This record gives sequence, C-alpha cells and structure tokens, in this order.
Amino acid sequence: MASISIEYILYEDVGMDPIALQAGYDLLGDGRPETLWLGIGTLLMLIGTFYFIARGWGVTDKKAREYYAITILVPGIASAAYLSMFFGIGLTTVEVAGMAEPLEIYYARYADWLFTTPLLLLDLALLANADRTTIGTLIGVDALMIVTGLIGALSHTPLARYTWWLFSTIAFLFVLYYLLTVLRSAAAELSEDVQTTFNTLTALVAVLWTAYPILWIIGTEGAGVVGLGVETLAFMVLDVTAKVGFGFVLLRSRAILGETEAPEPSAGAEAQAAD
Amino acid sequence: MTDTTTEQPPVLRTRSVIGLAVCLAIALGGIFVIPGFESQAGFGVTFWTMAALELLAMVGVAYFVLNLHEE
Repeated sequence: MASISIEYILYEDVGMDPIALQAGYDLLGDGRPETLWLGIGTLLMLIGTFYFIARGWGVTDKKAREYYAITILVPGIASAAYLSMFFGIGLTTVEVAGMAEPLEIYYARYADWLFTTPLLLLDLALLANADRTTIGTLIGVDALMIVTGLIGALSHTPLARYTWWLFSTIAFLFVLYYLLTVLRSAAAELSEDVQTTFNTLTALVAVLWTAYPILWIIGTEGAGVVGLGVETLAFMVLDVTAKVGFGFVLLRSRAILGETEAPEPSAGAEAQAAD
Repeated sequence: MTDTTTEQPPVLRTRSVIGLAVCLAIALGGIFVIPGFESQAGFGVTFWTMAALELLAMVGVAYFVLNLHEE
C-alpha cells in the first residue's frame, strides 16, 4: 500500500535546486504526488462555490447581486483549474539552462489567476465605490502582474526568469499601493460597515498575495528550495484562503447591501442572529 | 413610522446574464481545451490563446456585472 511521501532530497549538483522538500500522495498513480493537494484544492473550491450559491439564492438586492455574481465565479473557475491540474492538463516541462532535469510547470494555474485575481480586485473596487478608470487601471496592472509571472515561469534562463519575476513583483507592489492609498481613501468616505470590511479584505489580500512571489522564488520555478509537492500544497492553501476566505468575509458583511436593503443599526443584532 | 412604499426587485438584464454565462463557458473552455489545442497548434500558440481567452472572459465578467440590471 502506498503511503504519503515526505522526502527531503539533497541534490549533489548545486544548480538552481539545492534542496527539494517533497510531500504528497500519488492519487492517480501517474507519478505525481502533488495530486493529493490538487484534489483537495478542487474539493475546497467546489464547496466554496456551492456555499456562495446557496447563500446568494434569492438575494434581490441589486448591489449584493453584483458581489455574489463575482464571488461565485472566482472559486467556480478556480475549482475547474484545480480539476484540470489534478488530471495533468496544463502541465508542461521547461528546459532551464544549468538544470539537470526539465522543470514541470502547471501553467493552468496562471489561467486561473488571470481570471480570478482581477475579479477579487473588482470586488474591492466596487466595495470602495471606485470609478471605472480606477477599476480599469487596477485590473490592467493585475493582469500584467500575472502575465509577466507566467512568462517568467516559461523562460529558459535563470536571468530571464528572475527578471520577469522582478517585473511581476513590481506590478504587484503597484497593485498593493493602489489598494492601500486610492481605494482606501475612497472607502474612507463610506459607511463604517464598508470601511471595516474593506480594511479586513485589504489586509487579507496584502498578506496572502505577498506570499505568492515569495513562494514562487523559493519554489521549483525559482531557487528550488522546496519541491513541487510542498509548493502545490502551499499554493493550494493560499488560493483557497484568498478566494473562498475572501468571499466568506465579503458576503457575510452588511457592507455589500445597497441602500434599499441595508438594515438599520438597531436591526444589526437580529441580522447577525439570523446568520 | 411605517414605510408604506413597496420596492420592486431590480430587473436583471437578460443580455448581461447570457453574457456572464458565455464568459463562464469561455473561461472553462480555455482551461479544458489546452491538451487538444496544444497537440494541434503547439505550445506557444496554446499559451497565448489561453491567456487571451482568460483575460477576455474576465473583462466580460467585469463588464456584464457592472451592467447586470436594467436602469
């Protein structure tokens, strides 16, 4: 009987991958122990999707419907991306100069991020009541961040890989700056509910999204300090928290309700009790 | 004081709902056509086509969500 493998592999050639920590369980028997984490990721994203659908069923508030439409689609597409990676779709190998073995890259992950990260930012922009120019700028820079990260992942020399990583990280810092200045200022003019929810979600995004470039640089696509199994596990935890956790905080908040449906302060306790 | 006005639920714009469904199909299709497309067109074309499809789907979702209801 196969068991969960947790191995520390010390490479003799100290190229880009000096130490690789592997973890996982080969569910499909095709030599990919990371399928355990991809399978769990698929399930958690599906649970999140159906929870948000059930929660939003029958919602009539105009503003709330917009948030539900976006927030349901985010884990919905992510679950499809995880399922595709589980079955080995969107997995490619890249020859990198100086590395003995070709790198295995799940580029379907970037397809998921290209679709989902701008939508998470759209949720925040709608919450802060940002204008369409601000939304467009934020989404454009975010897309640039993901595309340059993808180009970095597919580059063939370490210099090109790290240069594209740096480009992507600078784009991420710009997104973060925009969130913490322009959008926060816009949210500060709105109700206390909106400000609290916005600040919680922005903190969540700032912390979780910062972990992605760090994981990239220490993972198989960068220095190779951790192996594909651990990297996939870490990305799965980050993805589920950044998408389902984000949606959970957002959709539980009264801040998403429009003026016609927002309960009076005195009804707040009743609304919370109903949860 | 009792509010006697009855609020009508906002009417969904059919075109936007269909648009959202199409964008969802494009985003899902973009992921799952990768193996078949890659064997026909090669990696480079598949990579950029997939990226373009996902971006297009995302822009579509943003547009249709912002225009989800009848004015």
